[in-house]
Amino acid sequence: MIDILLTLAGRFVVLSLFAVGGGVSILIPQIHQEFVHQYHWLNERTFAELIAVAQASPGPNFLLMPLIGFRVASWPGAFVGLIAFMAVPLVLALTAGRILHDHENETIRMLRRAFRPLTSGMWIASGIVIALAVDRGVTGLAFTIAVAACALFVEANPLWFCLGAGVIGALLGS
Amino acid sequence: MDIFLGFVYVGLSSIGGAAGPLRYVLVVRRKWLSEGDFSEVFGIAQVLPGATGANVAAMVADRFGRFPAVLAGLAGFCLPSMFVAIGLLSIATRLSASSPRFVAAETAVTAAVAGLFIGNGTRLARDLWTRAHDRRRWRTARLGIAVAGIVLIVAYHVWIPAAVLILASLSLALEWAEREAERRQTT
Repeated sequence: MIDILLTLAGRFVVLSLFAVGGGVSILIPQIHQEFVHQYHWLNERTFAELIAVAQASPGPNFLLMPLIGFRVASWPGAFVGLIAFMAVPLVLALTAGRILHDHENETIRMLRRAFRPLTSGMWIASGIVIALAVDRGVTGLAFTIAVAACALFVEANPLWFCLGAGVIGALLGS
Repeated sequence: MDIFLGFVYVGLSSIGGAAGPLRYVLVVRRKWLSEGDFSEVFGIAQVLPGATGANVAAMVADRFGRFPAVLAGLAGFCLPSMFVAIGLLSIATRLSASSPRFVAAETAVTAAVAGLFIGNGTRLARDLWTRAHDRRRWRTARLGIAVAGIVLIVAYHVWIPAAVLILASLSLALEWAEREAERRQTT
């Protein structure tokens, strides 16, 4: 048990360092690779369930980490996921907050701009990885394409797209 | 206590990104920050590694009461919504074991989330192309970086940290080169 918790903590610390540009979502391909293929702690089905629940429940997106921790090692896992993922960024944020207060705006603006192409590409990549992990059937693909088009052209809370898909999915049955 | 409650509200009201609720609570309701301060803190939080929302919570709470306030802010932000999420997960696991119909719904939601990511990423790429008033070659290069990211990860399964480092340095070099080119033009 302790072994698993330590490994979990290590993975989450490493992951937290690369969640740059404002998106935990860019880590999803890595999470899929490590937790499903490398450690076999999750299978495609539980991975898909975690993604759905993390998106549908209230709260910040990075709650995906404690959710994964919970699935792998129950409550201790959840807290390890939460704390390990926040610890290093917390120290960096507090340091940066105190140092950067009121100056170096130009640098920050440039860094923000520089992260945008990266975020764009990696969001799309995450979407593709999730789509491949879910059922590859035609219905799954249709949902993915329809919601992608909605997100691109309609201004609405994304929760509605997910709820709509869930209802239609349930009506269509298995 | 006030900080804790403020962030409990942010945590529970953020669905699909904490940016909106954060701004609402910090700037509009509690008036802890001005609009300008908020966008500065948010910008720093976004550039730093980790979750943007948690970084904002930590930095704002730090201004009020140093470490105890930081713990209160983060606990308020994360814990209530974590309990809700774990509760939902347990319900989902139980239902999916007994009902194939629920599994179908869940699969549809996951497929929808995939679509959401693809749609949002494409929207960002479209902004990179249409909003920027730079020359065409800089915009093309930015889209090139985005496409390179997709190819590296989906087709070649490149280790994400490596992909982040490569793409971020390319992108920074690009921004720097563009700034230098502009500077040369104006002088």
